[in-house]
Amino acid sequence: MSLTKRKDTLPIPPVDAERYTTVCQYCSVGCGYNVFVWPEKRSGTAKSNAFHVDLSKQGQLMSGFSYTETMHNVITRKNGNRYNLAIIPAKESRINKGDYSIRGGTNALTAYTPTGVTKDRLKYPLLRKENGFVAISWDDAVEIIATLTKSSMDKYGADSVAMKFYDHGSSGLGFEDNWGAGKFFLSGVKTQYLSIHNRPAYNSEVWGSRERGMHELNYDVDDARLADTIVLWGANAYEGATVFYTEHIMPNLQGGSIDEKKREFASGEPAEEGRIVIIDPRKNATTTVSQDISAERVLHLRPNLGTDWILANALARIAWENNWYDKDYLQKRTDMKTFEDYKSKSLELAKPFAAFLADAEKITGVSRKEMEEAAAWIAKPKTGGFERRTLTLYEKGIIWNMKNYDQVAAIAQLNVLTHNVGRPGTGCGRLGGHQEGYVRPGAPTPGSIYAGGPPKNVDKYITGGGGKIYWVGATDPYLSTPNSKFFKKSVKKRANNLLDYLDNGGIPSDPKAYVAKVLEAYEKTDGLFMIVQDIYKTHTSEDAMLILPAAGWGEAVDTSINCHSRLLRIYDKFMDAPGEALPDWKILALVGNKIKALYTADGNKEMAARFSGMEWKTDAEVFADGAQEFGDNRATETEEARLSAECYKGVTHAMLRKLGNEGIQTPVRQDPATGKLVGTKRRYQYSFASKDGLFKWYGTDAWTGYPAEIAKYINNPTYPFWFTTGRSQHVWQTMYHDKRIPEKLMTVPLPYLEIHPDDAGKLNLKTGDMAEVFNEEGSCLALVYVNDATKPGLVFGIMYHAKGTMNNLTSSYTDPKTTIPWYKGTKVGVKKYNGKLDDAIKTVSLLSNNDFRTQ
Amino acid sequence: MSDISRRKFLQTTSASALLLFSGLGRESQAASAQSYPSRKIGNIKNLKVNEQIAFTYPDDNSPCVLVNVGQEAFGGIGKGKSVVSFSTLCTHMGCPLTYSDGRLVCKCHYSMFDVSRNGQTYQGLASQWVAQVVLRLDAATGNIYAEGVEGLIYGRIGNLKLS
Repeated sequence: MSLTKRKDTLPIPPVDAERYTTVCQYCSVGCGYNVFVWPEKRSGTAKSNAFHVDLSKQGQLMSGFSYTETMHNVITRKNGNRYNLAIIPAKESRINKGDYSIRGGTNALTAYTPTGVTKDRLKYPLLRKENGFVAISWDDAVEIIATLTKSSMDKYGADSVAMKFYDHGSSGLGFEDNWGAGKFFLSGVKTQYLSIHNRPAYNSEVWGSRERGMHELNYDVDDARLADTIVLWGANAYEGATVFYTEHIMPNLQGGSIDEKKREFASGEPAEEGRIVIIDPRKNATTTVSQDISAERVLHLRPNLGTDWILANALARIAWENNWYDKDYLQKRTDMKTFEDYKSKSLELAKPFAAFLADAEKITGVSRKEMEEAAAWIAKPKTGGFERRTLTLYEKGIIWNMKNYDQVAAIAQLNVLTHNVGRPGTGCGRLGGHQEGYVRPGAPTPGSIYAGGPPKNVDKYITGGGGKIYWVGATDPYLSTPNSKFFKKSVKKRANNLLDYLDNGGIPSDPKAYVAKVLEAYEKTDGLFMIVQDIYKTHTSEDAMLILPAAGWGEAVDTSINCHSRLLRIYDKFMDAPGEALPDWKILALVGNKIKALYTADGNKEMAARFSGMEWKTDAEVFADGAQEFGDNRATETEEARLSAECYKGVTHAMLRKLGNEGIQTPVRQDPATGKLVGTKRRYQYSFASKDGLFKWYGTDAWTGYPAEIAKYINNPTYPFWFTTGRSQHVWQTMYHDKRIPEKLMTVPLPYLEIHPDDAGKLNLKTGDMAEVFNEEGSCLALVYVNDATKPGLVFGIMYHAKGTMNNLTSSYTDPKTTIPWYKGTKVGVKKYNGKLDDAIKTVSLLSNNDFRTQ
Repeated sequence: MSDISRRKFLQTTSASALLLFSGLGRESQAASAQSYPSRKIGNIKNLKVNEQIAFTYPDDNSPCVLVNVGQEAFGGIGKGKSVVSFSTLCTHMGCPLTYSDGRLVCKCHYSMFDVSRNGQTYQGLASQWVAQVVLRLDAATGNIYAEGVEGLIYGRIGNLKLS
């Protein structure tokens, strides 16, 4: 009867089961988990077990201990023996307190097993031959890459090597792998053509905040429980950062944190249930859950796509006109010279208030009344004249908006104007997508157009015929890069041109002969040698010449920080990687050391030196080596702003293993008085991260309409709908794990589209139908959900899915200041598709996922 | 979840769910360690669309619901295969589930399960689909019997392993 294999009993870990500490491999929240491993045939008892929980009794609601079907698996170790694996949420973690999401709750299901859903993990290097991929040895793979990279650099220059690698933590990555990739590409190869996971260039997504002197991760989870008002701006917390919402935002809305507020607030300061302002064109699940808790404490603003910075400036102007700011604070902590620019360009003080607001209403589609209410919730002092405490968190709706730089800057400035940074219950930054773990040598482009940028667009370089080697690590650009159809077509053509040349007369097996033929092909064709390094084959790897097997989460020792507390913890190794898969840092070290040897043999000391320093033996050594990049971290509490946000200098793997789920918050400083390492709970109480410690203002651009890539669709009746994208709670990123888990794939079997009932009626569409979404860039077939999440005239699609990507529809526009794409907006047509996919429809739920009401 | 959230949740949860939680279940009997008991839980003739019958199964500590969802459902019995039954302990953290409009909803963290689709978590946090009760219909009498549970009941190491 069951659609999937179900269990009605679970194995019990004996008291002496192996126990490890880790953090969830998925989202920015970074829930703590405990891992138990024990031989398959052994068992603890209900009374005596490694959980130290009496399992003979019915578990009580919200006890903080959960052990469900999806938290168990059976793995095989290299010794050939089978072991039970249980991965359960950590009650002792202050991040999740035993809570978990539908992503983290399935961590155990993603473990490699030779017969289960993950059996197709990559185990050996694979070289593309005449009839497809064949397994080759690491020695041969390393020799091919090292020789080819060196030859390409020598003949065509460093820029002939392009890369697209992650820069983040979690997902089986962390400081170790980032340092490995950084040493290889930034110190060794020194190419300008670097790009970061899904996007086309090597850049921060928040230079608009960082160049003001404010790193985007400046708050603590406690601030979400202490805030008078939480603003979620283009940030679907309930679905994207789920446990941060349920454990820290939700209790605040319910009044569950009033006692904490009373302890932290000034004497006599009002402390009541929190309010929430949600700024999002969609009535997403975060909005409707919040409304179900307390509708009168939820304000939902739905700006027109691309107009958010105009809205942020309007809220700031309202605060200014009402004197909802602290002049002393502005003078003491911010740069009053650049403030003039802000006043003139962002607040537009020369324009009468009424006319200014009328313009803002017209551009954003948000009414003056809504703007005034939101500004009051954010900035109006509380009874007794106490400053309001507002925590503002933005995410992809802002950073992947049109004009990335100005969007982020406008929100950062609204919060500093109203002193909503550096106090308990305040903060302004990213909600985050994944966790972080960035430590790399300096990037070739330090900042935006105002700070030495913008960085090179690698997508344009590759699709335009540039580069000879394209190395893709832990990302799947065929799904995730903007304007992906064009990208895929171009890369495929270049990869095939290379393959055709190699195939002519046979592809040599000997690495030297192989490389010689590739070099020959470079002279005769525009061929591109693509290397894909990942844990599974990907959509992109179909056109790779070489695929490298990487170790995943739990198969190496990693460290990362979460986004909501910058909490650094260890993600311990609890199992072996499949086959001969290796951690990313190790793969890059093997190639780097080989290139160094080749240059040494040539007598080229300068080039050999560039590839030196990668002789690490263990994960702990890589972590310690990366720490040197942070420089001197002796600092007092009041000097924290000058430390790099992720500074962990002095921390070791051994120390983190001892700290377990408690971790330590970056930046970690060495206290000059005691010599001890101290974490940082909240940032920018005393100064900002600029040279003189003052926040630097910036006058944002005026509204000038949409870029040409989008403007071409406006007033074109073929493409009547505005189109935006987002994620599903169930599936992580490209679904690399989730598409293998039957429960997940049954729930989200296809790319899907949300459309308003008014529009659906006109197109004769109903929930469960299929529709084609299209524009001049591409098209996608999607399962239709008719609901009120979108407004008439706006449709929403899942950003990408293993069975189709909506990024076929996004344009190639990037912000000229940062090279960050506008993933979240374009225009499309929608038409009904008459084909039926009965099998998928039979098992997928067709209920609306933003309706939580009960009768 | 903080204490106050728990209180708030209790205030907002439906009376029927609370009744279940407090240990209704006169019909229950001790679960066999070997196999699931067979227990009569209702009669199909009286079960109108969206009508619910609360019961416990396989023992007193496991609240369940029997419902006629009015459309064909996985594991459904009756003429339209529309009568199904589920555990009403949320598989996420054990809170009581409320049946409404074709789904089971948890007001602790807002997980929602589609009762026509095998108890699938179509929204929310629960990584395990809710446990479905195996039903048998006696064609002659219309009596409905609970005869097993597919999937783990929350808070247990085994469905039949409570002491």
